[in-house]
Amino acid sequence: MTDTGVLQPLKTWSHLAGRRRKPSEYEIVSTNLLYNTRPDAPPYEVDPGVFMNRWYIEHRDGSGLQHADWNSFRDPDELVYRTYTMLQDGQETYVFGLFDQFDEREHDEALDPAWVEQLAVLYTPARYLFHALQMASAYLQQMSPASTITNCCAFQAADSMRWMSHTAYRTKELQLTYPDAGFGTGEREIWEQHPAWQGFRELIERALTTWDWTEAFVALNLVVKPAVEEAVLRQLGNAARHQGDMLLGMLTDAQLVDADRHRRWAGVLVKMVSEDPANVAQLASWLDVWVPRADAAIAAFCAALPDSPDAAATATAATRDVRRTLGV
Amino acid sequence: MATLGRLDWYDIARATNWTPSYVTEDELYPPELSGADGLRMEAWESYDEPYKQTYSEYVKVQREKDAGAYSVKAALERSNMYANADAGWISVMKAHYGAIARGEYSASTAEARMARFGKAPGMRNMATLGMMDEIRHGQIQLFFPHELCGKDRQFDWAHKAFDTNEWGIIAARHIFDDMFTTRGAAETALMLTFAFETGFTNMQFLGLAADAAEVGDWTFSSLISSIQTDESRHAQIGAPLVTVLIENGRKAEAQQIVDVGIWRAWRLFSVLTGPIMDYYTPLEHRKQSFKEFMQEWIVTQFERSLLDIGLERPWYWDEFMAQIDTQHHGQHLGVWFWRPTVWWNPAAGVSPDERDWLEEKYPGWNASWGKCWDVITDNLLEGRIELTYPETLPVICNMCQLPINTTPGPAWQVRDYAHTHEGRTYHFCSDPCRWCFQVEPARYAGHLSLIDRFLAGMIQPMDLSGGLAYMGLAPGEIGDDAHAYAWVEKVRAARERLAS
Repeated sequence: MTDTGVLQPLKTWSHLAGRRRKPSEYEIVSTNLLYNTRPDAPPYEVDPGVFMNRWYIEHRDGSGLQHADWNSFRDPDELVYRTYTMLQDGQETYVFGLFDQFDEREHDEALDPAWVEQLAVLYTPARYLFHALQMASAYLQQMSPASTITNCCAFQAADSMRWMSHTAYRTKELQLTYPDAGFGTGEREIWEQHPAWQGFRELIERALTTWDWTEAFVALNLVVKPAVEEAVLRQLGNAARHQGDMLLGMLTDAQLVDADRHRRWAGVLVKMVSEDPANVAQLASWLDVWVPRADAAIAAFCAALPDSPDAAATATAATRDVRRTLGV
Repeated sequence: MATLGRLDWYDIARATNWTPSYVTEDELYPPELSGADGLRMEAWESYDEPYKQTYSEYVKVQREKDAGAYSVKAALERSNMYANADAGWISVMKAHYGAIARGEYSASTAEARMARFGKAPGMRNMATLGMMDEIRHGQIQLFFPHELCGKDRQFDWAHKAFDTNEWGIIAARHIFDDMFTTRGAAETALMLTFAFETGFTNMQFLGLAADAAEVGDWTFSSLISSIQTDESRHAQIGAPLVTVLIENGRKAEAQQIVDVGIWRAWRLFSVLTGPIMDYYTPLEHRKQSFKEFMQEWIVTQFERSLLDIGLERPWYWDEFMAQIDTQHHGQHLGVWFWRPTVWWNPAAGVSPDERDWLEEKYPGWNASWGKCWDVITDNLLEGRIELTYPETLPVICNMCQLPINTTPGPAWQVRDYAHTHEGRTYHFCSDPCRWCFQVEPARYAGHLSLIDRFLAGMIQPMDLSGGLAYMGLAPGEIGDDAHAYAWVEKVRAARERLAS
């Protein structure tokens, strides 16, 4: 402000102007974008008592983990929309290149018939699970109280749609080679009833109906996703390689690159909330509830993997490592 | 190139509904969040999104679009477009970015609602991409104006506006939050993607991009065109949903939601788009009047899509058609008169040539709106600028949150459409705004308009300075005439010519 009290132009947004360095593109386009967290106002500009206002006040503002300044969260990867699409277009080019190369070599025709049967049970039904991760991430997107968090959740939802799409694509390829093996037709029943999947189905149905936003984050990013990624991506990928299915192994490795990115932002958020001992205690009590469910899901799924006696133990241990790395 | 075509496997990627058993369907999809009164999952099986795109196609196409829009911006960075642009056009940019950028970002929340709580898998997938689109629109429409912050403090409002209680932003939030962020997934799809995007913004963005190209602002033009291509995809989420609702005996509910949505969208257009097209855009660059644009692009096309999907014209269609001719003139006059309360500099747009154009496009303009501008113009000519500033507050509609006004002149018949609900009297600008309230009073009853807040003593001191402070506006940001009243001298010259 000048002596005459007239505001002067600034080099950046006024909310970033107090700092000493030039803001990055990430900061310019990602910070403080939500307007439903304005102090002393209901989340949305309609009747304060309308269902959705009550929902946000209860499940977001009254959430189990609290922080005085959620807007201070920063994505360690500093992804913005345009860098996300650049990054993932490159990743998709790689994956679809794999699909084409393996198709040219008639990869599916050469698979062991016993493994083909396993794929119909243990692999292609995973599209339901990946889609459920997409839905769960979309819930976090709409409920988290800072746009920097919201964006990470949106990219995570899109990545989950990516995994689901790969699975659908491979389902169709396998169906064309093995029209009578249940590909593209039997997955729903297997997802709803086969013992290998019931642990994961229970886990994700419960996570999808967890409305408190920080509990939903803890359940999804610290428990459910690590379990899915270590069992349904990594251990299934390992089993596939042992069965000569190099394509699936390389595909799950490519998907795990996304998972590593999700773990990075989740780690920063955990670090942020862990500044408050009350949050640490709450988080631990949620893990006590969620981890046994995830362990059971991993055990049921890995028990069905062929020639993989150590899969469950390895996957379970890996989820512990993930959480340790994330600071819990 | 992938061996399989998109349609070979697309259906598998949208066969992802399952029957939950550890929780119930209503727990997985709470009716308040999923909408459509809890219509069962089986009924959604026939939902078929007309615009189909896969994740892989999405990231490829969107990367290319961004490369295009950002490279146009980079290439023109050193052009002196900004320095040479008409002040009216600069105001268009300021008004647009402030009212739209973070509103679009908020629409990502609405898309996420559909991505999580929509009961049709195809809808959830398209809404996942729509959620990404809206993040793009928020981010790109912040990145572009950011470089102008250093030139003019009002550009700070591209980011700041939605944090404030500026009256236009209260109106924008009220409309956006009513339509996009506080309803179940099905209603959100009908209001956001069908009524608002299919009906209005999809076409409006085409018009705005054309106007920008016409004034030589290629950066803005390519930006807006690029956004429009996203909208034309995700705007198609809503229409197939109408089909599902009609098949399941819910036509009346769908019609009501769409009717509320169209009306609310129209009111926003009357204050934002109307003045921009008919007053701010330099005269030599105007292709169509707002009324012509509305009739050709919005009314005709949208009427057809409404009837095509099995709905009827809204009951207030005649009132809508009448307002297209009149409402934005009053909104413009109000915005200019209360110019210290906006974050851009309204262009009066009433020099002699411009008035001739207005009279040609809106016969009778001089005898009605022109009379009000005559008084303002005379005061400015005679150096009584203080009389051209407001001393009182307008009456604001409790639905659209915009000043209540009708056409001045001999036929002037302003009236308050009042309604009393649980002991409180509400004031509305029109029958349709009052009807929106009456069909769902609990959604709006507890909201206070800016004037209600003033009368409740929430804004202190109770004068313009208190009002500006409440709205977050300070000198350096507050609006003034875009052309620093240069147009008044054109009037003086014309009058002198006439007198000599």
